[in-house]
Amino acid sequence: MSSAEQPKSTRKERREEAREARKSIEAQESQRQARRRRMMQLGAAGLVAVIVIAVAFIVSGSTKKQEAPKPTSHKGTQAAKLVSSEVSGIPQSGVVLGNPKAPVTLQYFGDLECPICRDFTTGALPSVIANFVRQGKVKIEYHSMETATREPQVFREQQAAMLAAARQNLGWNYLELFYNEQGEEDTGYVTPAYLKGLAAQIPGLNLAKWEAERSDPKLVEKVEADETKSGEEGFTGTPSFVLAKTGGNTRKLTEFTTADLAEARALFEPAIEAALKS
Amino acid sequence: MSSSALRKTMIVLATIGLGVASYLTYIHYAGIVPLCGKGGGSCLKVQTSVYSKIVGIPVPVLGLIGYFLILVTLFVRQNDTVRLATLILAFSGFAFSAYLTYREVFTLKEICEWCVSSAIIMTILACLAVWRFLLGDPPPQPALAGEGNPGPEADGEPLTALPG
Repeated sequence: MSSAEQPKSTRKERREEAREARKSIEAQESQRQARRRRMMQLGAAGLVAVIVIAVAFIVSGSTKKQEAPKPTSHKGTQAAKLVSSEVSGIPQSGVVLGNPKAPVTLQYFGDLECPICRDFTTGALPSVIANFVRQGKVKIEYHSMETATREPQVFREQQAAMLAAARQNLGWNYLELFYNEQGEEDTGYVTPAYLKGLAAQIPGLNLAKWEAERSDPKLVEKVEADETKSGEEGFTGTPSFVLAKTGGNTRKLTEFTTADLAEARALFEPAIEAALKS
Repeated sequence: MSSSALRKTMIVLATIGLGVASYLTYIHYAGIVPLCGKGGGSCLKVQTSVYSKIVGIPVPVLGLIGYFLILVTLFVRQNDTVRLATLILAFSGFAFSAYLTYREVFTLKEICEWCVSSAIIMTILACLAVWRFLLGDPPPQPALAGEGNPGPEADGEPLTALPG
């Protein structure tokens, strides 16, 4: 190669080097910008996560509050009359409805907010009460078992409110009224005002005494003891029942899922008759 | 870990999460007791709690939709926008799982093992989504003489043509 050709190659090589350097700088700048953009997008995604949490808290916190009917309201008066007619004249002792010496005991495990318990208590139980409890053949013992209530603190308070009425031997008036005036599930309607409203509808209940006693820790212990008992029985839903000749071998009745009077009679009455004969 | 390996790991995790959400959705509508420790009692209480629905939609259904959408973003042709979508979905799922876990532990005071497993899966998915997102596009594969197909590590990315 002649010396005259060498400078041209060198210039070409220099141009190539300059172009490569420029491209390298541009690539680095592009990467820097891409990284910055990604960090901003990452921040935006984090903000979305925070908004999701905030919305979840806001949505779960909004609940309808439903008061129990006032004692003088039409609904309140009607419900109180109905309950009174059902249980009046039947001895009550704590959570037991019926003659304490009745030969057959029916243990009723329920949650006051459970709609199936409501259906049973308002639909089928009245016939059991009329045909067996009022005759002195069966006594019913109510036990607390949390299913529908879902908030443990609310469950303990509402069941303790019933137990406080039971201390004045009006527990069955309270629980029957609760079931008759049950609110809509999952709306958070059970508030202290609601519980007090129910108590105010019970003729003969000493409201001040009820109010003072319902926060007694012994009542919460009783609720927890009932829960333990339901676990030992292997129950997973409410209402659930144990039927036995008083002091005899127990028999679990199938979890009751209907308020149909005929079905209830078909389930309970033969079982009670069999227990009475055993 | 390469972007491709992260993507495959996320596909496996999202599939497992989809399985968990499907099971929980099934038991919700079938009304049966979930297979769970302590005779199903804790899981049942959590699954039937007031927090098991958001605006009337069962939480397992939301989980099902979330995992499905994440899988969709992992199977389509990948680019920065798709990886961002995966990230947002995983972060949202992680945030919602964190909220549900808070409610379980501090409000209901019960533990549902299925819910916890879904929360763990979603947390790992969120971490991997961040990692993959920050990795960005995989480096272009060098073109081999006489071969026109991309290698196995291409992660479905188009080859970047070298400027001429």
